[in-house]
Amino acid sequence: MPTALRSFALLVVAFLTTAAQAAPGPAASMVRISTTAQQPDYSVPWNPGNVGSGVGAGFLIDGKRILTNAHVVSNATFITVVKEGDPTPWEARVLHVAHDCDLAILGVYDERFFEGTKPLQLGGIPALESTVSAYGYPIGGNRLSVTTGVVSRIDFQPYSHSEVDSHLAIQIDAAINPGNSGGPVMQDGKVVGVAFQGFSGAVAQNVGYMIPTPVVRRFLKDVEDGTYDHYMDLAATYFPMLNPAQRAALGVEEPDAGVLIGSVFSIGSSAGKLQPGDVILSVDGLKVYSDGKIDLDGERTEMAEVFERKFKGDQVKLEIMRDGARQSLTLELDRPWPFEMQARSYDKRPRFVLVGGLLFQPLNRDFLNSQKDVDTRLRYFFDYYVTDHLYREYPEVVVLSEILKDPVNTYVAPFKGGIVEKINGQQIRSLQDVAAAFEQPGEFHVIELLGEGRPIVLERSVLAEASERIRQRYGVTTEQNL
Amino acid sequence: MNTAPFLSVAVFATLLVSAPLGQGMESLRPYLPSAEAMPSPTDLSVPAAEPSPAMAAEAKTGPLPPVVRVNVASQSFNFSQPWRKNPPVLRQGLGVVLTDGRILVTAELVNNHTYVELEKPETALKAAAQVEAVDYDANLALLAAPAAEFLQSINGARLDETAAVGDRVEILQLESNGTPVRTPATITTIEVGAYPVDENAFLVFKLSAPLQSRENSFTIPVFKNDCLVGLVMRYDPRSQTADVVPSPVIQHFLDAAGREPYAGFPRAGLTFSDTRDPQLRRFAKLPNGTGGAYITKVLPGSPAEAAGVAVGDVLLRVDGKTIDQDGNYEDPRFGKISLAHYVSTVMQAGQKLPVTVWRDGAEVQLEGTVAPRDRSSMISQPYIFDAPPKFVIVGGLVFSELSRQYLREWGPNWPREAPLHLVYLDRYQSELPDNRGKIVFVSDVLPGPNTVGYENLSHEVVEEVNGRAIKSLADLAAAVDSPTGPFHRIKLAEDPGLVVLDVEGSKAEEERIQRDYRLPSLRQLDGAE
Repeated sequence: MPTALRSFALLVVAFLTTAAQAAPGPAASMVRISTTAQQPDYSVPWNPGNVGSGVGAGFLIDGKRILTNAHVVSNATFITVVKEGDPTPWEARVLHVAHDCDLAILGVYDERFFEGTKPLQLGGIPALESTVSAYGYPIGGNRLSVTTGVVSRIDFQPYSHSEVDSHLAIQIDAAINPGNSGGPVMQDGKVVGVAFQGFSGAVAQNVGYMIPTPVVRRFLKDVEDGTYDHYMDLAATYFPMLNPAQRAALGVEEPDAGVLIGSVFSIGSSAGKLQPGDVILSVDGLKVYSDGKIDLDGERTEMAEVFERKFKGDQVKLEIMRDGARQSLTLELDRPWPFEMQARSYDKRPRFVLVGGLLFQPLNRDFLNSQKDVDTRLRYFFDYYVTDHLYREYPEVVVLSEILKDPVNTYVAPFKGGIVEKINGQQIRSLQDVAAAFEQPGEFHVIELLGEGRPIVLERSVLAEASERIRQRYGVTTEQNL
Repeated sequence: MNTAPFLSVAVFATLLVSAPLGQGMESLRPYLPSAEAMPSPTDLSVPAAEPSPAMAAEAKTGPLPPVVRVNVASQSFNFSQPWRKNPPVLRQGLGVVLTDGRILVTAELVNNHTYVELEKPETALKAAAQVEAVDYDANLALLAAPAAEFLQSINGARLDETAAVGDRVEILQLESNGTPVRTPATITTIEVGAYPVDENAFLVFKLSAPLQSRENSFTIPVFKNDCLVGLVMRYDPRSQTADVVPSPVIQHFLDAAGREPYAGFPRAGLTFSDTRDPQLRRFAKLPNGTGGAYITKVLPGSPAEAAGVAVGDVLLRVDGKTIDQDGNYEDPRFGKISLAHYVSTVMQAGQKLPVTVWRDGAEVQLEGTVAPRDRSSMISQPYIFDAPPKFVIVGGLVFSELSRQYLREWGPNWPREAPLHLVYLDRYQSELPDNRGKIVFVSDVLPGPNTVGYENLSHEVVEEVNGRAIKSLADLAAAVDSPTGPFHRIKLAEDPGLVVLDVEGSKAEEERIQRDYRLPSLRQLDGAE
């Protein structure tokens, strides 16, 4: 399903806004955001990258801030905002951005922008079947558009901006289209969600998603201290326990409680605390049902929602069953880094090292998306990086991703796409290791890839000359970005 | 349920990839003009006044070609539902009658056979036949000689010993009426290349020839001056090139088939890389102007390991033959040919193999004894024919052992479509620890009251059952047969990590499953090694 989801915005061609009367209601809080963005080029990482532009929506919240989607302002080089009824474009900047929940806060350099504006207030979770209205600047015009629909579903959904995160999301049947992104969805004069993604193509119709206010509030609270700390995670996998024999063998007597811990990541909140085979019976005093749900605020929802609402350093109390005995545990929550390799990244330059025409890049989603042919080994290392705990051995997987053909490396071509295991005898577990290993003295640089194969040998005596030649011929502006 | 999405048809589709002249093309035959009505260039080489089959049988004008039709009924096993056989299929090929009356065919023709029948082309006289020896690596099989009168009037073919690049040869096919059709072809390349079922590489003759699809689509023989040059194993109709199992490989197979036990094709158990890169040569302190092959892998338990060959050595000479920078030696007949041909085909299992390697700037003399690969020690078998897949059903969970034959159930594109971690384990099995053992995994779930909550299990690898490490399905069966309490505890390498089954509940469930799904048995442990 995540592949069918598309982030909206960044697709609508910019038009000039014409003057209009300041409208009452949400219109007075609406902002049209025009972004010029530069997408990094992971296949030629020293390239500046393609420049494009797009339009999204945003709205004013208290503290002279504008709330919008992260994807509206990702990789931005220049942002302007226009108020409804004011022709002037004002230059804005990103104050905080949370790519894991697709939210961003903008500020405007010139305080006069906020004259005559009215911040919107956040509401709660709207009831199923209740009517909501989405405000934004979708395809086909530069004036404010309003569409109305009902709340169809409240559930955890993948957030397509990062491609790995799932949070609470609300499905509505109001038409939501590119350009609606970042716009408020209103009910009874309050914001109940931020429109952010929909289904594209023929799979579904009238399926739009908004980020509900618990997610928005969490973001606003997280940045109160000036930095965004990312969502917290249990850093362990857990599974429904519906099998009676499984329940009996693990000593779970309550008929409908408990989830089974499948694996515990060696890094993160649960490391050294939880063990595979443990059964979680309750979280912060809330009973965990055997399908992994809890009762929270009167709703039956995912157990993960408890961790979702917490912040870095917060504690969570677990009651578990281990070896047939009840135990209590307190975990301190932290962010789970192994997943970040599988997430898309934004506002970052691609990291790489180029030596003798050999390009070394860390394996991650952006890199993989830029590659045409990906062999079994790389696909496995990416897909099973977390599942098979490859991160324990490889905090970073470094790939010999490209060979810029030159006399110095003419026999190296078949090694393209290999995972780098050692350079000059040193184990390579991060891109920094690559740069450091090439600093080693010696007559030869010796590069060993994972699996069978001969070592790649580069003679240092000819390397400086070759590197200069490669820089000139291939237009390489810089040879590394760590 | 996580049944592999391909049924029996897909299994045969994969076979057809390596035999494009197979049955897929036969189905096109009705749409082609009949061979009589369409004189092809090949017909020109046939005497114009070819007598009718009946007349030929009586007139006995000239020697008949040394071939018989071989009709094979075969039935493959379904690896995703391992208690089941796929529908039977019929294959037809030409068998080459050898001087001792035995009949040579490709192994592909007879794999998973249930019945093999010989048919005389000119009289359609039929006789049952037995497979005497088969080597799937080399794609060759030998059928026992039928009763002497059956082959009356057919003189056996000798093996060619002279064919070389540039030679003109003839590809022999038969019309449906038994008339021989000889298509001229040219040997364009002789090299060591891949054979259909494994990563094994043996000598291959490549022919340039315009072949037509006819009913004997497996095992098309190639002759030069009435001597057998080889058997076609692949034909690409677009480039009009045929890959042939050549006579040196056939000769080795016949020699090996004459000895008990069958030892097959020996191997050294190493892989190598070229040493053309001058920077690598200077790093390895290899003198310029010499050759050498850089050893990149020495298989555990292999002759190369026993001889003391190590990764990083550079192979300079093998049995007195100088090895060049690409790992070739100078063959008196074929010129530069990969060392793999010398070890696997020129040598016989059990022969001593003296090697000279370059190590730390000096020559080192080593000696090993070449031997066939110990297939049973492989973690994942590259192919399984003629034997049912192993499986064990425990309380509704079906457990299988990883093999490439299992992965092929995902169809021709299996490397991309089969479960990635299993593809990875199969592909890179030589990198796994030597004592890894077989890979046992949950291959299917037959849902029932006993498996509630386990419906989504899909290809998780089993690590431990009832406290015992699992290195084969036999281990798993033994562990299940001696439970340590009221529950079977099955520890998985992947999430959810632990599956528990009730011992008594599983027994009851197994009875129900065997009855409701009509399974002949709940276990099959005597499959192929």
